[in-house]
Amino acid sequence: MDQGIIEVVTGAEAAVYIQTHSVIKKRVPKKYRTAELDIKLRKERTKLEAKIQSDARKVGVPTPIIREVNGFDITMERVEGQPVSLVINETIAEQIGEVLCTLHSAGIAHGDPTTRNMIVSNTRIYLIDFGLASYDRSLEARGVDVHVFFQSLEALHENYRALKKAFLAGYGKKCQDVEQVISKVEEIKGRGRYL
Amino acid sequence: MIVLGLEGTAWNLSASLVSDDEVLFEANSAYIPTSGGIHPREAAQHFASNVIGVIGEVLSSTDPRSIEGIAFSQGPGFGPCLRIVGTAARALALKLGVPLVGVNHCIAHIEVERWKTDLLDPMVLYVSGANSQVLSYRQKRYRILGETLDIGIGNCLDKFARSAGLRHPGGPKVERLAQESERYLPMPYVVKGMDFSFSGIATAAQEAMKSASLEDICYSFQETAFSMLVEVCERALSQTDKSDLLLAGGVGANKRLQEMLAIMCSERGARFFAPKTEYLQDNGAMIAYTGLLMLSNGVHTPITDSGANPNFRPDEVEVLWIKG
Repeated sequence: MDQGIIEVVTGAEAAVYIQTHSVIKKRVPKKYRTAELDIKLRKERTKLEAKIQSDARKVGVPTPIIREVNGFDITMERVEGQPVSLVINETIAEQIGEVLCTLHSAGIAHGDPTTRNMIVSNTRIYLIDFGLASYDRSLEARGVDVHVFFQSLEALHENYRALKKAFLAGYGKKCQDVEQVISKVEEIKGRGRYL
Repeated sequence: MIVLGLEGTAWNLSASLVSDDEVLFEANSAYIPTSGGIHPREAAQHFASNVIGVIGEVLSSTDPRSIEGIAFSQGPGFGPCLRIVGTAARALALKLGVPLVGVNHCIAHIEVERWKTDLLDPMVLYVSGANSQVLSYRQKRYRILGETLDIGIGNCLDKFARSAGLRHPGGPKVERLAQESERYLPMPYVVKGMDFSFSGIATAAQEAMKSASLEDICYSFQETAFSMLVEVCERALSQTDKSDLLLAGGVGANKRLQEMLAIMCSERGARFFAPKTEYLQDNGAMIAYTGLLMLSNGVHTPITDSGANPNFRPDEVEVLWIKG
């Protein structure tokens, strides 16, 4: 960590150190669980997260380049740009639809695709934080992704109806089964469990 | 208001009388299996033989004319057990000429603890034989944020304990044996988003019996299963910004689970509540009190809608007694 730390963001399982040119995500130890289990989980998850993030990049989904995976830490490129939550409009929503369809078509579910986990950089949409991502082709996993995205729109953006419509137009360009995904989202919404 | 409540979803048959402020009386008759685990038909036979007795005790503790409503556990639970308490509750309501109200057993666990503590809006970890869920209140319902994808944690513990020759209930015996070990054997750790799964641990534990000591297996079993629960609770707290965690259900009596949850909460600056064993276990007071809340808000259950609901989910109930 040779550069100055601009910001530290802490989540339920990791602390993210944002520096001038790189971002370091550190999975922090949990004192409640036995050390062997703690170390095993943090190692496996760090490896899996880095792998999914670079696999996503390989299929054409913009994600930060992984520079190093070391134990419980992932060092990656810092993508400069604006968080989608601050700049979203219908054009961006449509682009997000295309990006998420590309990710899903590669058999990857992001797990937490809120507008805070997306960055607009040079007109491209970057997906960040693959901490909850999984290799999952199921309609359920895709529906949860779309639902989580919609929830983040409803919570933050007044014109969410138009944004959802634009998103679905983008998603449906290459994902022909968009109608099935929409009905899955309705079903998931009815359960009322995702926030 | 004074309400008589009948609990009978699985092993404990319990009748209780509560007012707005306190538990006035409670009579229990627990079903204890002679061998193996809880057998639904045998439990129901035990309930049928003893339901008149426990209700009689409650009625003789008071003037029956003071009772303003009859509450009963409508589900989730074993169908044969639920039908016994349902039948008794219907007969009692008709006889006394007071309203009947069917209560969700899981919500009752939460409400009795909200009543006995100062918790307004907690995140809840509900862990019992059949159920394992993380819940919290939002917009007139208790929402299930995460839950088991297969079996309940208590059922998983009991199954393993039986295969190891420990008598029912196995949970407390596994807890005691686990205290004798600190050797961790890897077991399947399955958390998918907010959901979790236990069946893999049960299989792995049985498999390990061939080569490892029972103490080591009990220790590893608890450490793995409980870590999964604590992780999901932490994520739920982090996503909702709630600052209180409440433990409910019989498995909540486990001291190691309590300790792990307490450590997680103190590291996040959240408050942790583990209630007294009498409210962690199934009890009639929780049914009576939740029934009282429902009746006070104009809810009652017509006889035609009072059938057993073995898969009754907490988010089916509109929560009218919490404002906002």
